[in-house]
Amino acid sequence: MPKQKLNPLPSTAFQILLALVDEDLHGYGIMRQVANQTEGRMRLGPGTLYSSIQTLLEARLIEEVGQGVDGKLGQERRRYYRLTAAGRKLVRSEAERLADLLRVARAKKVLRGAHV
Amino acid sequence: MSENIYAWLLRLYPSRFREEYGEEVLQLFRDRARDEKGFLPRLRLWWDLLADLAISVPREYYHFQPEFLGVSTQRLEGTPAFFVIEGGSPRPGALFSGGMLTLASVIALSVFVSQPVHRRPLKISTTQSRSFASDRPSAFRRQPARATDSARETTRAPGQPAVTGVESKPSEAKVGQPPNAALPQSFRPPHAQASHPQSGQLQASQSLEAANTANTMTRGRSEDATIDEAERHRVIQGAIANLKQHYVYPEVAQKIADALVAHEKSGDYNAVKDGGAFADLLTKAMRDASQDMHLDVVYSQDPLPEHPQGSTPESLARYREAIERNNCAFEKAEILPHNIGYLKLNSFPDLSVCEATARAEMYRLNDAAAIIFDLRENRGGDPDMVMQLAAYLFDRPEYMYNPRENTTQQSWTRSPVPGNKLADKPVYILTSGLTFSAAEHFCYDLKMLKRATLVGETTSGAAHSGVFHRIDEHFGMGIPEVKPINPFSKNDWAVVGVEPDVKVNAADALDAAIRLAQTKLQKK
Repeated sequence: MPKQKLNPLPSTAFQILLALVDEDLHGYGIMRQVANQTEGRMRLGPGTLYSSIQTLLEARLIEEVGQGVDGKLGQERRRYYRLTAAGRKLVRSEAERLADLLRVARAKKVLRGAHV
Repeated sequence: MSENIYAWLLRLYPSRFREEYGEEVLQLFRDRARDEKGFLPRLRLWWDLLADLAISVPREYYHFQPEFLGVSTQRLEGTPAFFVIEGGSPRPGALFSGGMLTLASVIALSVFVSQPVHRRPLKISTTQSRSFASDRPSAFRRQPARATDSARETTRAPGQPAVTGVESKPSEAKVGQPPNAALPQSFRPPHAQASHPQSGQLQASQSLEAANTANTMTRGRSEDATIDEAERHRVIQGAIANLKQHYVYPEVAQKIADALVAHEKSGDYNAVKDGGAFADLLTKAMRDASQDMHLDVVYSQDPLPEHPQGSTPESLARYREAIERNNCAFEKAEILPHNIGYLKLNSFPDLSVCEATARAEMYRLNDAAAIIFDLRENRGGDPDMVMQLAAYLFDRPEYMYNPRENTTQQSWTRSPVPGNKLADKPVYILTSGLTFSAAEHFCYDLKMLKRATLVGETTSGAAHSGVFHRIDEHFGMGIPEVKPINPFSKNDWAVVGVEPDVKVNAADALDAAIRLAQTKLQKK
């Protein structure tokens, strides 16, 4: 079932996986990272975030690496998540799929401007 | 404050999600609340949170995968196990639909339960008369309500038509007649009255079981109060006194009295605490000593009135109206294929009320080549109506034995009936185990006279020939007070019923009779 939920990969899940590519993060860290990488367009609400995390955990695309304290955010213990090998592979294939799409879009001159 | 609100909103999520991530979600809320200060950011925060709730709550429920929580999944092969699928309390929606379902079930159940109540009298009276045939077969059962009617006869002026016993029938329940309505039915000739001032009583009581509402009887049987030795002695003495005073054969009365006293002395009744059972034992002892199946002792749970009141003009009017509405129990009179007349009669109603109806219905069948009387649901009634209908079947007066009346001029049919063409036509009578009392009178005599072929089942065995006498508040007895001449056989149908000539199930009787009639008509 989780696989079905992730096929096609929802953009939320893709953004979370992408956020974890560089480092292990806790929930709020993931949220801020996603907000950064989307320039603030995607602000994950708590329900959406943890629901997606749960799905990704069940699909073994990410894993929990234990609890730790984020000094910048106080003394609360937080759960940290890490990308698994499968998750990393999926991020890559998804990125390649998007790149293919982008190539097609460019070829068809759907996109405007120089920034792409 | 706002965290409390959000914590409360989190309850919307499935409990499984809350348990797993509730604390993280709240932590994230606190982080954002701490970082996003100011009016606009705070507004945006709440906008995000509410939008998030709206999207993710349904999705959580949609994707919810039942998993077994909280218990070990280890269990023995083949043993029943109980799994908790979800730990939390049910959702409001589930509670609501569960509540509606419960409400609907309760309503449906109450509707269902209330339904059979209307059909009950019909059903019970059916089974009852069956048990009556085998169990307490003789003349009557005493009921206070009935006693009221029965007493009329003793109080009315000579020469006035006497309204006596009531024999109701199942169909009365169908047409919505109140089961307890006083339904006097049989009119008796005045002379019989004069010689036996109480002879109508038993016929009133005779039909107790039929006319009685089934529930009264059932109650009487099931809740029999216990009786003690003094009561038993009083009942025996009362029975003996009544026998000596009223029984038509004084020497036999003495014989019965001796037998009862002997039984009492030898302690045969000491263990009997149940009124109904005691009445049955006395009935058996009396019949054993006399060989008279018309003797009977009955027990009534309800007190028997000491001085029964006569029925009122109102109750007579009620009866009249009810029976007329019911077309005098003539359910059907039609001509079947091959010109076979078919008459379904569910009672023998009062002649004085229904004479015109009877004449009209018989006239409809006047040209039939054969006639079938369907008495399978006939619960008895007025012996005069029996005589009236039998008159159509003869071309000269014919003697009809009636165990309830002395042999008089009235014991002959008033044949021939002017204009009647049925006197020489083949006659078939359909019977069942429910065919009762006056209907058995009709069957018995026409069978003995070889005037009719009976097709169906053995009848109930209710002769109703005793006169009812009250012994005390709960016991009464039926005592024959007449000496009718039975030219046909030693015993009539009391207890044993009338045997059909052609034995088939009641349900198949009509087809069988039609086949017999057709065969007979073809031979002609």
